[in-house]
Amino acid sequence: MSNLSRRNLLKISALAAAATALGANQSDSNAPSWDGEYDVIVIGSGFAAHAAAVKSAMRGLSVLMVEKMGRVGGNSVINGGIFCVPLSPKQKAQGINDSRELFFKDTLKAGRNLNNPALLELIFSRANDALNLTLECGAEYRDFLEQSGGHSVPRGYKTSNGTGAGIIQPMQARFKSLPNTEVKTRTKFDKFITDDSGRVVGVEVRENYRFDNKLFDDDRENKSGDKKLYRAKKGVVLASGGFCADKVYRKLQEPLIPDNAQTTNHSGATAGAMLEAFRIGAYPVHVSHLQFGPWASPDEKGYGLASKFNVTASFRYGISVDKKTSKRYMNEIADRKTRADKMFEIIGKDENYPIHFCDSRPVKHMLKEQFDKLLASGALKRFDTLDALAAEYGLNASTLKQTVAQYNEYVKQGKDPDFGKILPKDGTDISVPPFYAMRGVPKLHHAMGGVAINNKAQVLSSITNEPIAGLYAAGEVTGGTHGASRLGSNAILDCLVCGMVAGENV
Amino acid sequence: MIKRVLCLLFCLACAGFASDELSVKYPLKPHHEHLALGCADCHENQGDEPSKFKAIGDKGCLSCHKSKKLLAKRLEFMDVLKANPHNSVHDGPTLYCDECHNEHKESTNMCLECHEHEVKEWMGVTP
Amino acid sequence: MKKLALIILVAGFCGFLLVLPTHYALEKTSDDKFCAVCHEMAAMSASYAKDTHSGANKSGVSAKCVDCHLPHTSLARYVLQKAKNGIVEGYIHFFGDPDSIDWVKNLKNREHYVFDSGCLSCHTKVLENELLPTKAKQMHAHYKELLGTQKEIKCASCHVGVGHNFELRNELEYQKPTYKIYEKKMKELRGE
Repeated sequence: MSNLSRRNLLKISALAAAATALGANQSDSNAPSWDGEYDVIVIGSGFAAHAAAVKSAMRGLSVLMVEKMGRVGGNSVINGGIFCVPLSPKQKAQGINDSRELFFKDTLKAGRNLNNPALLELIFSRANDALNLTLECGAEYRDFLEQSGGHSVPRGYKTSNGTGAGIIQPMQARFKSLPNTEVKTRTKFDKFITDDSGRVVGVEVRENYRFDNKLFDDDRENKSGDKKLYRAKKGVVLASGGFCADKVYRKLQEPLIPDNAQTTNHSGATAGAMLEAFRIGAYPVHVSHLQFGPWASPDEKGYGLASKFNVTASFRYGISVDKKTSKRYMNEIADRKTRADKMFEIIGKDENYPIHFCDSRPVKHMLKEQFDKLLASGALKRFDTLDALAAEYGLNASTLKQTVAQYNEYVKQGKDPDFGKILPKDGTDISVPPFYAMRGVPKLHHAMGGVAINNKAQVLSSITNEPIAGLYAAGEVTGGTHGASRLGSNAILDCLVCGMVAGENV
Repeated sequence: MIKRVLCLLFCLACAGFASDELSVKYPLKPHHEHLALGCADCHENQGDEPSKFKAIGDKGCLSCHKSKKLLAKRLEFMDVLKANPHNSVHDGPTLYCDECHNEHKESTNMCLECHEHEVKEWMGVTP
Repeated sequence: MKKLALIILVAGFCGFLLVLPTHYALEKTSDDKFCAVCHEMAAMSASYAKDTHSGANKSGVSAKCVDCHLPHTSLARYVLQKAKNGIVEGYIHFFGDPDSIDWVKNLKNREHYVFDSGCLSCHTKVLENELLPTKAKQMHAHYKELLGTQKEIKCASCHVGVGHNFELRNELEYQKPTYKIYEKKMKELRGE
């Protein structure tokens, strides 16, 4: 590019920025000089982004996917890969009775009835379509259905490699194999470009952007990259994810969250893209509801592997005890908010981390590689007796044995009068050594809130109370679907369905 | 003649000093140092002002190291636990080289962001 | 005159008798079939078998172990080195503790085990070949520039996986994992 044209471009983008910043729109005569044009531009590269990108590319549209990080997939490639599919073929085959009513009841209970019913209906009714889209791309799932906390019946399809990458990688391959598709990583979305009518017609990005996780506030401090303008003829899909790693914005929502709070999110999970949508008028919904994942461990950083043990084994088939009392203190498979709140209560100020444990049988449901890695890391420990377990964590051995005996009795009777836990139907109690245990802590996990969308995945404007033309959104950047607290495994469902719907409508 | 010799010695001394200074400022990794690589072997066609050199990117690295698939293959034994950093369960052979490997400063290991305690059980220090 | 011819003939015949078994012995002890007789060479021969140098290529041209791992500067050096290797390696195999050798660590010493004269006796024109990719040409020029200096490098300095298809480390790790966590998995893989 010659100096002259670069200078022109800078002028134009400065103009575009100034124009949008003032809330004014550019006239056609002042149209920016685009560096490229596509039918659809998708911001982000997780579940929602891939569903939108693959679906619109399948319709024959040209699609650009922009991702600020070097790696594709954000949180979607580091999570546990459990995808809630109500009324699924696997449920049917395994004789599990599920219903619309039950799914709604579970989800609304966890969401404290703050869930947007239209969006809930959408993710319920299109769940199997989203599942089929992933299967068509080549995703593979295990036969064992997971029952994440708060679900009355097992609904969780788990990817065969035990992470969301089992969905993202085949979808990325499929996307790249479709004509007129492009992925730009290390490309940061900065601004929407709107026309006179307020329609989103393109985006301003920075290519060769390098996220710097040493910065306190990358969104504002990082000036790297080369500015580019790309036109989106049909529309832009915002699928940039949540903001649990945004130290500034999350603290504005919950001042008690310390800057060094542990999160399961990758370091790039910041609020910048969502805030840009607010700036052009998108309605904010539920942004102060932040969810903590209750199945994490203080003995590893980030997402780690702890959730694999706690979700699949200890919570469902075992118990969690307070170190100070050696007794249970919660329903181990309640919704995430209930559990995180209970755990924080007992953790208190003296880091009294609770102990989650189960016997030898449930760990067989874990993926072998993950179990081996977790055990080798030392976060998960193995004990031949309950006495040894008690000794390791400083529990009272006789109280612990009473707690276990009481729980085993509840399992036999099929009823937990203390905390109302749904007990394992196969009668798995805590009796066959060796026992497996770990210390637990909730970690910042999911931003419940975001931009408001309708059931066509269109972003709603606070200026007109109508959809913003040319702007769609899906996934964690949106708010309302899950209410105050999301059920485990409903994120992948939400992301894939809404992304797919955005891809159908854009 | 003596003047010329002195001049030559002076020049050599300067050159030696300059390259020493550069090698302190932009140290190479031992395996590249061993190959006696010069700045321009990697920073091709980037002029002769080291402070203005740009990162060479994947294309630069792969001009010698061939392909990410081949690099993944060299650590294939780690695939059994899906811990191969060049072909991990999360990313496959797709990461940017400089996500972990740095030439002029200490390399990092991206896996550590989530698997702090496990990584040392899986692999050595990032070269 | 006749006498001289006879002497030459007899000497020649004796020489022939001497050379023939020597040649035969050298020949028979130069390929992977012989080398892999010692179990410590299993990883080397398995990875070699997957490499183009073993003949796993369209033309079927192949190189033997000794073509790379012995010097080819002179016949004397070749034979001497071979004899030396035979004695040292034989001693270690029968009287030493070959299992204690850290081969993974030894991979770093590849420059010591691979002889450029061996490479160049087959790849005779490789240092001048104009058809090679630009980077290869640059690096070969760099190689030539460093020849005879203190910083001299070898073919194997850059060509790390050569002859063993980038699989030698893997084969070694499959047999004796450096990291304990792979041990169980490797055993499972081998059906133990």
